Amino acid sequence: MSIAETRPTGGGTTGGNSAGELPHRPRHTGVVPAGPNNGQEAPTTAGNNRRRRHHAEGLEAGKRSTRTLLWILLAAAMVLYAFPFLYLLFTSFKTPIDTIAVPPTILPREWTLENYTNALGRSGVLASFINSAQTAIISTLLSLVLAVPAAYGITRYKTPSGRVFIMAALVTRMVPPVAIGIPLASMMATAGLADTPIALSIAHTTISLPLSIWLMSSFFEAVPQDLEEAATVDGCSRLGALWRVVIPVVSGGIAVTAIFAFLASWNEFLFALLMTAIRSQTTPVVIANFQTQFGLDWGSMTALAAVYSIPVILLTLLLQRKIVAGMTLGAVKG
Amino acid sequence: MRISDRRFALYLMAPAGLFLAVFVAYPLFRLVADSFFKISPMAGGPRDFVGLDNYVRAFTSEAFMGAGWRTLAYTLVVVTLEFALGLGMALLFTTLGRKSEVWRTVFLYPLMIAPIVAGLLWKFLMIDNFGLIGTLLHQAGILQNPNQIGWLSNPDIVLFSVAVPDIWLTTSFMCLVLFAGLQNIPGDLIEAARLDGAKAPTLLFRIILPLLRPVIAVALVVRGIDAARAFDTILIQTNGGPQSASETMSLLIYRTMIRFGDPGLASAMGTIYLLAMLGVAFFAVATIWRPGKDN
Repeated sequence: MSIAETRPTGGGTTGGNSAGELPHRPRHTGVVPAGPNNGQEAPTTAGNNRRRRHHAEGLEAGKRSTRTLLWILLAAAMVLYAFPFLYLLFTSFKTPIDTIAVPPTILPREWTLENYTNALGRSGVLASFINSAQTAIISTLLSLVLAVPAAYGITRYKTPSGRVFIMAALVTRMVPPVAIGIPLASMMATAGLADTPIALSIAHTTISLPLSIWLMSSFFEAVPQDLEEAATVDGCSRLGALWRVVIPVVSGGIAVTAIFAFLASWNEFLFALLMTAIRSQTTPVVIANFQTQFGLDWGSMTALAAVYSIPVILLTLLLQRKIVAGMTLGAVKG
Repeated sequence: MRISDRRFALYLMAPAGLFLAVFVAYPLFRLVADSFFKISPMAGGPRDFVGLDNYVRAFTSEAFMGAGWRTLAYTLVVVTLEFALGLGMALLFTTLGRKSEVWRTVFLYPLMIAPIVAGLLWKFLMIDNFGLIGTLLHQAGILQNPNQIGWLSNPDIVLFSVAVPDIWLTTSFMCLVLFAGLQNIPGDLIEAARLDGAKAPTLLFRIILPLLRPVIAVALVVRGIDAARAFDTILIQTNGGPQSASETMSLLIYRTMIRFGDPGLASAMGTIYLLAMLGVAFFAVATIWRPGKDN
């Protein structure tokens, strides 16, 4: 994910917004890094553009028939892509018997919340939600507290140790969780933290910290150095400049990083499986356990899976503007 | 009186560095150390130093070699299909331009879904008897019998079936990265080629793909590493079965550790797996990716 987020900070994609306001301006100026001569360039190419207006700019399809065809293709792809999740939602509203009817139907014959009441009424399910939220929040905070100063140290001072550090963080991303899961679990047991949200959130932070450092580095990269130099001249300490000047500027980036750290923990399964028993079990483990402990209770499983996924999807949709704002932050410089 | 910038930077990095040392480097050290011992699964049980015995056992065991090949095949299947689909979607979004923006966001939603949920969801679609896919294909007249294809019960195809949720989940990521790359291709270049009469395939293979090369490399490396570590989706769908036909390395190590209670052997397997991953990743990073070089 890191790459996807760092790319827009290069200044490329956001220029397109301004191009959209000027109808004659060729859209591909949006991909040229924002610079002073963009504006001057526009009038010269605009004449060209008018002559073949129906024609494509860059890779955009020009002909109306082609575009219609492409829209149909996109619609088909979206339907195919969304269908599995919609089917999960529909199934969760079926009666428990219809859930495993042969042959299956797509829509419920009878809409009911029975699966939801069954799933949420089961002991340990609600507690697992609290555990999941707790673990994800602790892990996100821990990740940010560690990653923000580290990323700042790496990008602002460009020391050799910083370069080694970011490479080490990258290597960490390649370690298979199954390789460190067991030693980590026994370390936690030795420390008396077995089966606690703290232990699990520390384990999750080993996943989200490298990602957070990587993301935050690219956000700090986009902050002009003059900003804090001015602050230091005005008598701020370096730490003060970081806290009072730089952190507010990258707050959008911090929000994005927080979302990714939160998601990494919320959705994680292997560490949760290895390190939790009854007390701190998170919902993914509970969902998986439905399969063995209670036979094959598909209805409850689909309901619980839906309940677990929807808050995350909503959260991401709600904060989408924040994410876009964070990603475009880099383009504002200069 | 004032500490140097270099030292200040070091102080800023120290907490994160310490965290990674304690919770990643040290467990890795324990893993490698354990691989030289025969360890009783009981807490406080005996530990006997056996040298390279665990490694010999790993390399001579059919399960280990099989899991290695399956992991490789799984990774290739996942990454190839994701790349093809992701590039297709990215090109579609690019050719449709700004009006497709909303759908671009919608397309990202599987990235938010837990792998365990995705695995469950696809298991439900592919399972024998009441799985929807077999039924729909039967109703469409393609299959004579809804259970003709045992998606998750036929050892010959199960490795492909368990890859489906992984592909469904992360094609979006591939699409996102490739789409960002496509936006950085100068429009003039494409128009110039078009004026020269270049057809779509020429445009794609001679201009777009070569220009996207660095982006493609990054996307393939990142996804390749993730796919080679796949665990959640496979565990929930088949638990490695039938007849270990979908047992990849992560699953084998997990089962060796938990089910068969042989931490020493599992540690040796984990060490080999880790070294193989690091080797491939280092090679890829050093030759294709080179992070920081373009900053």
